Amino acid sequence: MHEMSLALEVCDIARRHVSPEQVASIVEVVVEVGDDAGVVADSLEFWLESMLSSPPFGEAKPVIRRVPGDVLRVSYLEVDDGRPDDRSP
Amino acid sequence: MAVRTIEVRERVMAKNDELAAEVRRLLAAHHVPALNLVSGPGSGKTMLLERTLERLGPEMRIAVVTGDVQTQNDADRLARHTDRLVQAVVTNGACHLDARQVGSALEAIDLADTDLLFIENVGNLVCPASWDLGEAAKVVLFSVTEGEDKPAKYPKMFRESRYCVLTKLDLLPYVPFDLALAEETARGVNPDLKFFHTSARTGEGLDGWFDFLRAQVKASRPA
Repeated sequence: MHEMSLALEVCDIARRHVSPEQVASIVEVVVEVGDDAGVVADSLEFWLESMLSSPPFGEAKPVIRRVPGDVLRVSYLEVDDGRPDDRSP
Repeated sequence: MAVRTIEVRERVMAKNDELAAEVRRLLAAHHVPALNLVSGPGSGKTMLLERTLERLGPEMRIAVVTGDVQTQNDADRLARHTDRLVQAVVTNGACHLDARQVGSALEAIDLADTDLLFIENVGNLVCPASWDLGEAAKVVLFSVTEGEDKPAKYPKMFRESRYCVLTKLDLLPYVPFDLALAEETARGVNPDLKFFHTSARTGEGLDGWFDFLRAQVKASRPA
């Protein structure tokens, strides 16, 4: 049940790691959820899907990684930096 | 589109834990031990506090912060047993207290005029286990009307708690509850857990609980 407040905290952490202009350009938020963290991963993912697709976010997706232990942390963000993909023809 | 990776590696609970550390520093500066009472709904947290305020209120200055999803019924009940302020936190749907709420509640409490603080958390055996409130210890209540396997079903709460108060022992003749099995199950999760066997209705076992609280207060006072 506390996954909603955890999701809010994840969103806050994500916002703090980019400039205000970049928030809408976050495409992935990767969260590590320990098996003993006391967190229902599906529920956290549900809340994150809802929050990360609403302003100020654009269409960011949560990626939940299950790990051993009781860790619960935001691992990294993927951000669209606006440049064309180098691999594009 | 070119995607850039930004390393974060930040614990989700970091902000709460920072606030909890501030609460802990504040309480330590005033030599106030704080106990965070946690349990499922209806296991007797408020009634244990009522008996505690009745008995120990005349000999020590006890402050209480109560957390409820809705209503301040628990705070109103407790206020009948003390002249001191009982600070109610209504979480409006949230299933636990957090350190920010406790820190705010403490602003209304004169800690220089307090010997012991109770935080009565929201009745829930899952969520409050994850939130440090700045307490000295979590005390989990476990009533005999619950199954002996509660510690196995909710291990984090029993792992995070230092003390376990078994409640409603007056109902033992009427319910199929095996005390020894319950303790064994809880110790399987947390071998260091210390137990109190109580009935707030009959008073059974409460003297041990009161002596424990007196010792907590005494140990917190400056030499």
